[in-house]
Amino acid sequence: MRKHPDEYLSGNLTAMIDVVFQLIIFFVATVSLQDTVSDERIRLAMAPSGRPVTTKDPREVYIDVDKSGQIRIARFPYSHREVAFILKKIVQDNGNNQIPVIIRGDENARHDAVKNVMDACAAAGIWKIKFAALKERGG
Amino acid sequence: MARTRKKNEMNAGELNLTAMIDVAFQLLNFFVITSHPVSVTTNLDVFRPSEDKTANPTKPPTVLRIMVLNGGFTLNDQPVTLPMLHDKLDFITKGDKTQTVLIQCAADSRHGMLVEVLDLCNRLGLKNLSVISSS
Repeated sequence: MRKHPDEYLSGNLTAMIDVVFQLIIFFVATVSLQDTVSDERIRLAMAPSGRPVTTKDPREVYIDVDKSGQIRIARFPYSHREVAFILKKIVQDNGNNQIPVIIRGDENARHDAVKNVMDACAAAGIWKIKFAALKERGG
Repeated sequence: MARTRKKNEMNAGELNLTAMIDVAFQLLNFFVITSHPVSVTTNLDVFRPSEDKTANPTKPPTVLRIMVLNGGFTLNDQPVTLPMLHDKLDFITKGDKTQTVLIQCAADSRHGMLVEVLDLCNRLGLKNLSVISSS
């Protein structure tokens, strides 16, 4: 006995929608990790005496500096002038300059590349900055 | 009767994959949301020197100046190795951990060397760390 054409079209939509929602929840839960995840091209220096990071401020701005001196925010390359502009905008939007800025510099990066980021922070009125380092090296 | 048996055989061979995928995603979401990876990073706080309007000009503050050069370090213009820097800083700051430590980095120095000095100051309990750059 042949099926009616309508029977081919009627799938189990409820289960499909269920899976689609599951995927949405998965991507919403993981997308926020993308901004803070460390760039694998950057090899952080060791600081075994530093305190471990226990609390996270949602306003934290991570600025990566790789060993060639390239500055990146959320894996997107910027010039130091653009970084200064972005930080000024963040300070302006927040209404104060107490924005936690964390510089993740490669251990072999030249200081002048890191200095450009520090100068960008100073131009935005941010005087307190943090340098990210590794407490222990993973296997 | 023959038709019924055939239908039952087909149902026995079917697996409801949608429900299985659904449960798999439920578990994946649960573990992604609830897992807290062990933090292996640390953040070393530094200040950039800015104009201090409350400073008393009659009493000059005690400042320790560490220079980070391409090939090594100096403490108050005396060349030192990292273990020597640790010992000297420990001796100088024994009674007063609030002393300002000015870390001056040469443009061609490695960032890793600055982190080494910051880590050393952290180990000694020094809190007032300022980083400046020399051209």
